[in-house]
Parts: sequence; structure tokens; C-alpha cells
Amino acid sequence: MTGSLKLVNLIETHAEPIARQWARNVRKNPRTPSYHGIPEDKLVPVGMKFYDNFKQMFFTDKPADTSQHYFARYAEEHHQRNIPLNEALYALIMMRRHIWLYAEFQAIFISAVEQKQAVDSLVRTILMFDYAIFFISQRYQELIRQSIEEKLGVVNVLRMERPLGAKQGPYKTAIMIALVFSAFGLTYYYHAMLAQNIIFTHLLYIPIVLAGIWWKKKGILVAACLGGYLLLSHLLFLKGMPFTDDIIRAAMFLVIGTVVAFLSEGITRAEELYKPAN
Amino acid sequence: MIASMKLIDLVDNHAERIAEQWAKNVVKNPMTPYYQKLAADRLIPQAVRLYHNFRNLFMEPKRAEASDGYFSKYAEARYKEGVPLHEAIYALILMRRQIWLYAEFQATFSTAVEKQQAIDSVSRTMLMFDYAMYFVTKKYRELMKLEWFETPNT
Repeated sequence: MTGSLKLVNLIETHAEPIARQWARNVRKNPRTPSYHGIPEDKLVPVGMKFYDNFKQMFFTDKPADTSQHYFARYAEEHHQRNIPLNEALYALIMMRRHIWLYAEFQAIFISAVEQKQAVDSLVRTILMFDYAIFFISQRYQELIRQSIEEKLGVVNVLRMERPLGAKQGPYKTAIMIALVFSAFGLTYYYHAMLAQNIIFTHLLYIPIVLAGIWWKKKGILVAACLGGYLLLSHLLFLKGMPFTDDIIRAAMFLVIGTVVAFLSEGITRAEELYKPAN
Repeated sequence: MIASMKLIDLVDNHAERIAEQWAKNVVKNPMTPYYQKLAADRLIPQAVRLYHNFRNLFMEPKRAEASDGYFSKYAEARYKEGVPLHEAIYALILMRRQIWLYAEFQATFSTAVEKQQAIDSVSRTMLMFDYAMYFVTKKYRELMKLEWFETPNT
């Protein structure tokens, strides 16, 4: 710890020039393009605030606990500015490098004893930044999850799933059985009673889309079932009428059902990745 | 670079042993709960691969490009396994720390000259892992974009 004091003092007394060097660097680094448009005067306080927190982390027994709140805020501010996480982290890494560039420039670790102090400082600095990287990336994930849930508001209503919550399986099955039987009835009515092949089949997309959303790939079965029933009904009741239209309709049921199923699977997979670690 | 050779040799020669220690650590670390349900025989090979690649990544003249290739693949594998990004990153941090714990344990850097070598090695190792953090988060973002057909702010 004593060895690190020298570095902490350097940061404390030179926070402004170090932050300014960082700001200049981050504004032109090819790995941080989102920072290029931010004026230097807006970036310098960000760096200075960080270095001030860094000092506090050095003097606490529980640096992770002390810094968690600060890093969460840091993540929120960067997320609000639409800075991607990889760039926010790289900017952070550059903050750490700038401490070292400045320390080297100031030649504060020369003698053998100081070299030992340098190793000590280096190790402790790295530890602080490891926590920073972890907390910032964790908070970013939470923020992304929140914005995804907001964006998925309507879709989640259709999915009948509370955000990250319990699924309402039995209701889905009951609704689907009712919809499928309604579709059967509708098909029978139009084919057998009216002997017509008009556009009622559009209504069949409702159970097909819902099945894809609810049960993903398994939901394609509903599309196949309705498509099969449509073709069978045509063969039984619409003899003499062209078959091609209903073949195309049945094929479209499968295509739409498959596309929806894959989209729904993608949403669920992405949600899984953002779920908080328990 | 020569100063770092000692560390590179150590990592290469003891890759399995360091990887085992890392696996033990990562399954009980509170910051990496996802890894707790993974068996050691699934974890160890990923660390061994990294430690064996350590020399290549270190020696490569275009280190950033080499890191991009290696760590993008690493990120893709973790993403497919469903590892949350912050845990994948922290697991990498633990891999880096394990090198140091092992190096200290082996008392690789004890004399004054070796202390200087230690600083050099730490700096170079850090640079490599800095690239790792950047490329892993970047790759995760790209993969999420593909999944969402849009640009989530990662």
C-alpha cells in the first residue's frame, strides 16, 4: 500500500493534466470513434471525476463495494450518450494507461526500492480497473435489458410473458385450441357450406403467428396442421376448383410460421443473455 | 521483449496447471456464477488454449490484429454457450490473474533486475488483455446485432 501512495499522490495533484491528455487521446483513438465528436472540455471532467474516485478506491479495504455505485453511474452516463460498451471500456483502459504514461513521464519510480513500489502500484491499479470493467459491463447489460424490455413491450403482451417472469402456459394452450378449432370451423363453413375459396384464410395467420411466438419451432406444427387441413378440405369439398391457390396458401403458412418461430427464438436467446446472473 | 520471455515460457510450460487453478477459481468466484454449473473438463481446455496461444499473441508484431482474431473466436464460443458478457470478461481477467499468482508462486521475479522484468511483463500482458476486453465486447455486440437485426447499444 505504501508503494502505491506515490502514485495516488501523483494522480491527486495532476488529475487535470492527466485527464486532459486522456481526453485528447480518446478523441482521436481509432478504437473509440464515439468519443471523437465529444468536445475535450466535456471529456476532461469525466476523466477528473474518474481519477478522483480512483484515489478513494485506493484507500478503502473494500474497493469493489466502494466503487460499485460510481461505476454504475459511469455506465449509465456512457450508455445515455450511446457509447457502445467496447468503446466505453477501451476509454477506461486508456485512463489507466494515461496514469502510467504520466507516472513514467514524471519518472517517479527509478531506484530499486521504487521499482518494487512500481510493481505494487501496478498490481493495485490493475485490480481497481478489473472491478471497474466488471461493474461497468454488468451495468451496461442491465441497461440494455431494460431498453429491450421497453422496446418489447407490445411483443411481450403477445408473448403472454411477463418481463423475465413466469410463463402463462395453460392460457396459451386453451387460446390456441380455440383458435385452431375456429380455423377448422371457418374452413369447413367456407368450403363445405359456401363452396367458396375466398380470402378467409388470412384469418388463419392469427393462430400461426401466435404459435410461432409462443412455442417457437414447435409452433410450426400449427402452421403445418392448418395448411394440411386446408388442403384436405379443398380435396373433399372443392372438387373441380383449381388446387394451386390453396397449395400456395398452405406453403405460405409454413413460411410465415417458420419466420416467426425463428424471430421468437432469437428474442428469447438474446433475453437469456441479458438475464441477470442469479 | 526479452524481459517478458521468462513469463511466456512459464505460461507455456505450465499451461495445464495454471488452467486447472483458474478453473477451480472461476467456479467459485461470486462474480462468475454462470461458470459454477460448468464441469472442470469443459473449462480447463479453454484456458489451456489461451495459455498456449499466449506466446503467439505476445510475439506477434501486429498484436492488435492477432488479438482480434483470437479473442473474437473466444467471444463467439462463449456467446454460443450463453455466458453473460460481464462474466466472460471477468473470467478472462481471472485467467490473467492466475498467470500472476502462478508466477509469484514460482518466485519467477525476485531479484531487482527481475523486478524490472516483472514490470515489463505486466505491462505487455496487460496490453494483450486490454485488447482481449475490447475485442470480446465488440464481438458480443456484433453477435447481438445479428440476433436482433438492429444495433443494441452494447
